[in-house]
Amino acid sequence: MNSWILDNFWAHFAVFTIVILAFVIIGVMAFIYVERRGFGPFQLRRGPNRAGPFGILQPIADAIKVLLKEDVVPDRADKVLHTLGPVIVFLPVLLIFAVIPFHGQIGGLIANLNVGIVYVAAISSLGVVGVFMAGWGSENKYSLIAAMRVVGAMISYEIPLVLSLVAVVLATGSLSMNGIATGHPLPMILLMPLGFLIFLAASMAEINRGPFDLLEADSELVAGFHIEYSGMKFAMFYLAEYGHALAMSAVAATVFMKGWVGPWDAYLGWFWFILKTLMIFVLLVWLRVTFPRMRIDQMMSFAWKFLLPMALINLLVVGIQVVAFGGDIPWWMMFINFGLAGVLILGWSKFFRPGGARVEYQV
Amino acid sequence: MSYYLIAPQITVAGFAVAVIMLDLFVKQKRLLPIVSVVGLLGGLGASIALWGQTETGFTNVLSVDRLAIFFSVIFCGAAALVVLASRDYVRNNFSRFEGEYYALIMLSVVGMMFLAAARDLIAIYVSLELVGISLYILAAFGRDGKSSEAGLKYLLLGGVASAVLIYGMAVVFGITGQTSLAGIYQAVAAAGLGLDNGMLLLGVVFIIAGFGFKIASIPFQMWVPDVYEGAPTTVTAFLSVASKAAGFVVLIRIFLEAFGQDLAIVSGWAMIFAVLAVLSMTIGNVAAIVQTNIKRMLGYSSIAQAGYLMVGLAAVSKTIGAGVTDPEVLFGPTGLLFYIGCYGFANLGVFIAVIAISNKIKSDSIADYAGIGHRAPVIALAMSICLVSLIGLPPAAGFLAKFYLFNTAVHHGLTWLVVIAVLNTAISAYYYFRVVKVAWFGTSTSQEAVPSGWGLRFALGISVAGVLVLFFYPSGVLDIARSAAEAVSGIALSAP
Amino acid sequence: MAVDIAFWILAAIAVVSAVAVVTLRDVFRAAIFLILCFFTTAGIFVTLNADFLAAMQVLVYIGAVAILLIFAILFTRDVQQGNPSNKLKVPAAIVGVVLLGVMVSSAVTFGWPESVYLPELADTADIGQRLFSENGYVVPVQIAGLMLLAAAIGAIVLMREK
Repeated sequence: MNSWILDNFWAHFAVFTIVILAFVIIGVMAFIYVERRGFGPFQLRRGPNRAGPFGILQPIADAIKVLLKEDVVPDRADKVLHTLGPVIVFLPVLLIFAVIPFHGQIGGLIANLNVGIVYVAAISSLGVVGVFMAGWGSENKYSLIAAMRVVGAMISYEIPLVLSLVAVVLATGSLSMNGIATGHPLPMILLMPLGFLIFLAASMAEINRGPFDLLEADSELVAGFHIEYSGMKFAMFYLAEYGHALAMSAVAATVFMKGWVGPWDAYLGWFWFILKTLMIFVLLVWLRVTFPRMRIDQMMSFAWKFLLPMALINLLVVGIQVVAFGGDIPWWMMFINFGLAGVLILGWSKFFRPGGARVEYQV
Repeated sequence: MSYYLIAPQITVAGFAVAVIMLDLFVKQKRLLPIVSVVGLLGGLGASIALWGQTETGFTNVLSVDRLAIFFSVIFCGAAALVVLASRDYVRNNFSRFEGEYYALIMLSVVGMMFLAAARDLIAIYVSLELVGISLYILAAFGRDGKSSEAGLKYLLLGGVASAVLIYGMAVVFGITGQTSLAGIYQAVAAAGLGLDNGMLLLGVVFIIAGFGFKIASIPFQMWVPDVYEGAPTTVTAFLSVASKAAGFVVLIRIFLEAFGQDLAIVSGWAMIFAVLAVLSMTIGNVAAIVQTNIKRMLGYSSIAQAGYLMVGLAAVSKTIGAGVTDPEVLFGPTGLLFYIGCYGFANLGVFIAVIAISNKIKSDSIADYAGIGHRAPVIALAMSICLVSLIGLPPAAGFLAKFYLFNTAVHHGLTWLVVIAVLNTAISAYYYFRVVKVAWFGTSTSQEAVPSGWGLRFALGISVAGVLVLFFYPSGVLDIARSAAEAVSGIALSAP
Repeated sequence: MAVDIAFWILAAIAVVSAVAVVTLRDVFRAAIFLILCFFTTAGIFVTLNADFLAAMQVLVYIGAVAILLIFAILFTRDVQQGNPSNKLKVPAAIVGVVLLGVMVSSAVTFGWPESVYLPELADTADIGQRLFSENGYVVPVQIAGLMLLAAAIGAIVLMREK
C-alpha cells in the first residue's frame, strides 16, 4: 500500500470508504448467492442455476431487475421520511465496517477505535430509526405494524446481545475490536460457548432473519415495513438486510472467533477473516432454513425469559472465572464451560415454554 | 474498606428488597408493614451508631458527618411513622400493591439518606432522582383520576426542576471544573469570584430553583396543592416532611460547603433566601385561608412553613465568611434543624389524624370535620395540639422553634424579615384555628366513632409526644442540632 | 482546526434540530429531529476525545430513549396536529428570550477556565476504576441502580390493573 494514502487523513478516509463500500456490495451479492443456492439442497431442490455457471450471476440479474423498476411513492406518504428511511437503514451497516479489523495489527480500516465494541453496539441500534421512518412514512398499516414489531424485537434482544459482548470484554480485557481479537489465546467461541449462542440468537433477531423474521412475515404482513417500496429504494432495503447480516457475521467472527488471527496471518489475515465471516453466515442460513417462524409473544418471552437470564448467568460465570484466575482464564476451563452451557440450556429450557404468556385485559 | 459508613442506607435498601420478596412469597400481608418498620428502625439505629465517627470514606463523594446523621434519623423516623400510620389506609385503597408501596417508601428514604451525606454534585443529583422517581410513583399510587393527575404533575414539574438543577450544576462545573463541593469551594475562592459574576449567579440561582421545587418554595410551588390533594394521604404526609427536609439538607450542604467563601458571597445568597422566605410565607399563608380541602390547606401551609425554614438559611452571614466569625451570634442552620424536627412531628401528627379521619368519613373537606371532636376526642385533641405547634404557640414545640429561629434572624440584623414572619404567623393562626374550631364546635351529622388501628394510634402518640417533649425539654435536641450544624460550617458555634 | 470546524457544524445542527423539536407540529418528525440532536451531541463528544461517552450517548439516547419515545408516539392519535398552543404563548416567549439573552450574554463575557487535564483515551480498566472503585463513583453508580429498581417497580405498579 502506498504510504501517502496511509498517512494523509483525507486520502486514507476516501480510499477506505470506497473499499468498504465495494466490500459490502460484493459481500452482499456473494451472501445472496450463498443463501439462495444453499436453500436449494436444504429444501430438496436445485436453487438458482440459470444465470451464469451454477447460477453465479443470479444476484446481478436480481439487482438489475429491481433497479429498473418504477419508483412508486404512495400519495399520502410522508415523502421526506419515506425517502430517507432506506438511507438511514443502510447507513449503520457501512459505519460498522469502519472499525472491523480486516487484516493484521492495523485494526479497523477507517478508525481503530479503542471503544470499538461499544461503537458497534451503538451504531447497530441506529438502523431501527430508519425502519421506523419507513414504516411510518409509508402510511400503510401493515408497514406500521411491522415497524412496531421491529422495535419490540430490537429493544428486547439488544439487552442479551450487549450483555454477551460485556462478558467477552471481561474475558479479553479490551473494548477495541483488535484487542478483543488478540486479547486471549483461545477464541471466545470455545471459552464461552453460552455467550456465543446468546450472541448468535440475539443478533439473528436484531437483523430480523428467520426464525425471527416476523416483521416481514409475508403471510401476515405482506412484506413488512418495506411493502410500499419499489425500485432503487427497495434495493436499498435488500442491501441493508444482507449488509446487516454481513456486518453481524463479521462482528461475530472478530469477537468470538479471533477475526484475522490464523496461520500466516501476516499475509493471510484477510482470508481468515472472510472465511470465518462466511462460516458464521452459513450457520445463519442453516438456522434460518431449519426453524419455523416464531410468533410475536414467543419471540418476546424467548428474549426476556430465556436469553436475558442466560446472558446474566453467563456474565456472572465469566466474571467469577476472570476474578478467580486473575484476568487470564486458562484453556482447560473451556471444557467446564461447555458442560456448564449444556446443563444451563437444558435445565432452563425444562421450565421455560415459549408463548403461553398471560394476557391481562383492562376491565 | 469504609462501607460501614453507608450501613444505614444498605440496611434500608436491603429491607426494601426483602419486603418485595416477602410480598411475592408470603401470604401474611400484615407482616409487610412490620418488616418495613423494622428495616427503617434498623437504619435509624445504624445512623445513631455512626454519630461522632470521624472517618471520611468515599473520598469527596460522601461525608457521613453529624448533619447527615441528624437528617438520616429524621428521614427514617418520619418514614417509620408514616408506615405505621398507613397500614389501614393501604389495606383499604391499594391492597394489591402493599409490598411495592412500602418498598418505594423505603427506597426513597435510601435516596434521602444518600442526599444528606452526598458532597459531590453527581451523587447529589443521582440521589435526588432516586427520591424523585420513588415519590412520583407513590403520588400516582391511588390510580384514580386525581392521584394520576397528581403523579403526572409531580413528574412533569419535577422533571423541569431536575433539568434546571442539572443546568445550574453544569454551569458551576464549567466555572470551577470540579464536581465535589470542597473542590468548588477552593476553585471559586482561588478565582476570586463572587455573586456579582453573572455566570456564577446564574448557576447559584438555577441550583436554588431546582431545590426550591423540592422544598416547595415560591415560585416553584405550583405543584404543591394539586399533588398534596391528589396523592394518597399517607404519601402526602411523607412528602410534606421527608421530601422537604431532604431539600433543605442539600441546600445547607451546598451553600455552606461550596459557597461559604467570604462575606460578600454569603450575604448574596442569604439575601436570595430571605426574599424567597418572605414570598413563600406570605403567599402560602394568604392562599391557605381560602382553602376548603384540608389536604390543599396543609399544602399551602407547607409552602408557608418552607418560608419560615428559609429564614434559617438567610441568617448565616455574620457567622461564616472570612473575618466575620462572631462566636456570640447564633447560627441560622442550627435553628433550621431544630425547626425541621418540630415541624416534622407536628405535620406528621396532623396528617396521621387526617388519615384516621378520612379512613372513616371518606372526605377531605374541612366542613366534613364538623363534630369530629366528639366522635374521636383523642384523635381530635392530638390534631389540635399539632396544629397549635404549626402556628407556633405554646405549649407546643413550634413555639420554641419559631422563637429560636426568629431570635437568630434578629441577631443577624434581619429584623424586617422577622416582622414579616411574625405577621404571617398571625395570619396562619386564622386557618389553623378554623380546623380546630370546626372539629370541636361544629355539629356533626353522624355520631359514629372513628376507628383506628394500633399502628396509627401509636404513630399519632409518638408525634404528639415529640411535639410536647421538644417544648418542655428542648436543650438536648438543640445541642444535637448545633453539633450537626458545626459539622458542616466548620466553626465552633455558640451555645443556643 | 478541523476539529473546530467539525464542532461548529455539529453545534449548529444540534441547535437547529433542538429548535425544530420544540416548534414542529408533527410529533413524529419532532422525534426524528430529537434523534438528530442526540446524534450531533455524540459527535460533539467525539470532537472532545470522549469516544466512550459518544458511543454511550448513541447507545442509550438513540438506541433506547428515542426509540421508546417513537414507540409511544405510534400509540398516539393526532400525531400530525401535535399539541394545541395555549394563551400564555407570548409571555412564555418573552420570558424565554430574556432568559436566553441573559444566559448567552453572561456565558459569552465570562472567562471560562480551561481544563488542565489532557483528554484521556478511554481504556476499559480506567473506566472501570473510575466507576467502580471506592475512590471513584461506586456510590452514585449503586444509587443509580436503586433508582432503576424503583422505576421498574413503578412501571409494573402503574401498568397493572388494580
